[in-house]
Amino acid sequence: MSFHWRRAQAVAWKDGLDLSKNPGLVWSMFALPAVLVVVPTFLVWAWVRSPDDTTFRAMALYYEPNFPSGASPLRFLVDKVLTDWFGLFLLMPLFTPILIASQSVAGEKERRTLEPLLASPVTSAELVAGKSLAAVLPAVFISWVAFVAFCIAVDAVAWPLVHGPVLPNGVWLFGVGVVAPLYAFLGNGIAVLVSARVGEARLAQQLSALVVLPLMGLVAGQLAGWLRSGTAYYALQGAVVLLLDVGLVAASIRLLDRERLISRWS
Amino acid sequence: MTARIEVHGLGKQFGGRTAVEGLSFAVQSGEVYGLLGPNGAGKTTTVRILAGLLRPSTGTARVCDHGLDDGEALRRSIGLLTEQPGLYDRLTGRENLRFFIRLNELDEGPAWQRAEGYLRRFGLLGREDEPCGSYSKGMRQKLAIVRALVHEPEVLFLDEPTSGLDPEAARTVRDAVAELAADGRTIILCSHNLAEVERLCGRVAVVRTRLLAEGPISVLRHRGSALEIRVEGQGEAAAAALQPLGLGWTVQGPLLRVTLQDEHQGPDVLSALVHAGVRVRSATPTSRSLEDVYLELVREAGAEEEA
Repeated sequence: MSFHWRRAQAVAWKDGLDLSKNPGLVWSMFALPAVLVVVPTFLVWAWVRSPDDTTFRAMALYYEPNFPSGASPLRFLVDKVLTDWFGLFLLMPLFTPILIASQSVAGEKERRTLEPLLASPVTSAELVAGKSLAAVLPAVFISWVAFVAFCIAVDAVAWPLVHGPVLPNGVWLFGVGVVAPLYAFLGNGIAVLVSARVGEARLAQQLSALVVLPLMGLVAGQLAGWLRSGTAYYALQGAVVLLLDVGLVAASIRLLDRERLISRWS
Repeated sequence: MTARIEVHGLGKQFGGRTAVEGLSFAVQSGEVYGLLGPNGAGKTTTVRILAGLLRPSTGTARVCDHGLDDGEALRRSIGLLTEQPGLYDRLTGRENLRFFIRLNELDEGPAWQRAEGYLRRFGLLGREDEPCGSYSKGMRQKLAIVRALVHEPEVLFLDEPTSGLDPEAARTVRDAVAELAADGRTIILCSHNLAEVERLCGRVAVVRTRLLAEGPISVLRHRGSALEIRVEGQGEAAAAALQPLGLGWTVQGPLLRVTLQDEHQGPDVLSALVHAGVRVRSATPTSRSLEDVYLELVREAGAEEEA
């Protein structure tokens, strides 16, 4: 079976167009990035406003029992929270494709557009590619825009403490450039898989969103001091997610088989 | 004429449920072929198999010289109008059509010109830049037909094409179907509107999971048709002459009503009466409507299934 890039592009074009005409969905896509940028910025701003707070040293010692007495605990905590925050920032590339892909696959069933689409020459692989592009590209784009906004905001509020930029750093550049797109594929793959098996976009969204729980668990582990985040830690996450992505693409192509979709949903 | 659709012993099972069983028929190039049957009879399943959306459990079929496993090539040569128009409501009519033009990898310029021709024919030109969500039911149905035609398929599957349309729009669609057939396109029409089927189709298949009857409408209408014969004297005496033919009859005074198994039995009946010395004053063949024949076939099949 040959793969026609033009047909995959057509699917991505249509889904992108449909998304751009759905203001509710577009606004909901921007809610999470706003929270993920504003909350840590506010936290750093609040800390920098009271640099002599004595609790900072206690917090630094909790995470680093051998914390040097001459070092600035506030600077340590700012670096620590920003590195850990990347784990939560990954929610954005993970969750945004879920919002889009759940609409695009289960939505086709709800709107009864699936049968005419499947009666066209498009293949399952082209369908998966087109729908994935339409979900992953906006997610990666939003993540990158949010990252730039985050760098500007954090650097602005941390400037009195650091007298220079704290972001971007190596962890964030690697994370946003490599790990975030892999997470976007993961969110998309799960949403495509789930929405191929359920009949409603909303249900597909709710079920797919459960994928954020393991990620939240990892972040909780970081905050509790059980897991130490850093480039190696996020690279390991990225490798695991890459393996999951490959498996999900293969499973999605198998599940978007005409026979399965039509006999189950039409 | 060449057969564009050939179906041999087609069957489909979903789990333990039989949707279609042992269907065989052929549709010639340029023919409008009706597929009739009650809800759940397997018409849509048959169309989905022939459109390459479902794999048959048994049997084979060829559509435009493509086997059912030729997937992509098969779907390029067919156009499908589903029961629901299935349009993207947020997209305009133009965007909906452009999407299918791109899925079929056509040159957009010429393909759009063709689409405009169909839009004009269906009275949609000028409305193509409005979102489909604002279209009336009739407009949606007509746009879905244009979408099925945009890649100039050889074979069209139309599932209830005039469902929900006002009489004027329904007539436009019927005229368009007739014109498409005249262009040499082969059309399978699934419809519950038997008057429409009689108007558009040359031949039909009546299905209820299996094939109940198939053939030209003119022949099907004579299934169980009758010959009303007015004789001199009492009809009972004349009816005795029909015993060797094994046909059913009723008598009312001089009027004898003989039920025929096919239209060619009429001369045999008259010959038998004349040979028996019966004086025949008049003989009138009475054929039935497609609706009568259809309902009888479906009821018989239902009774058989219950028995």
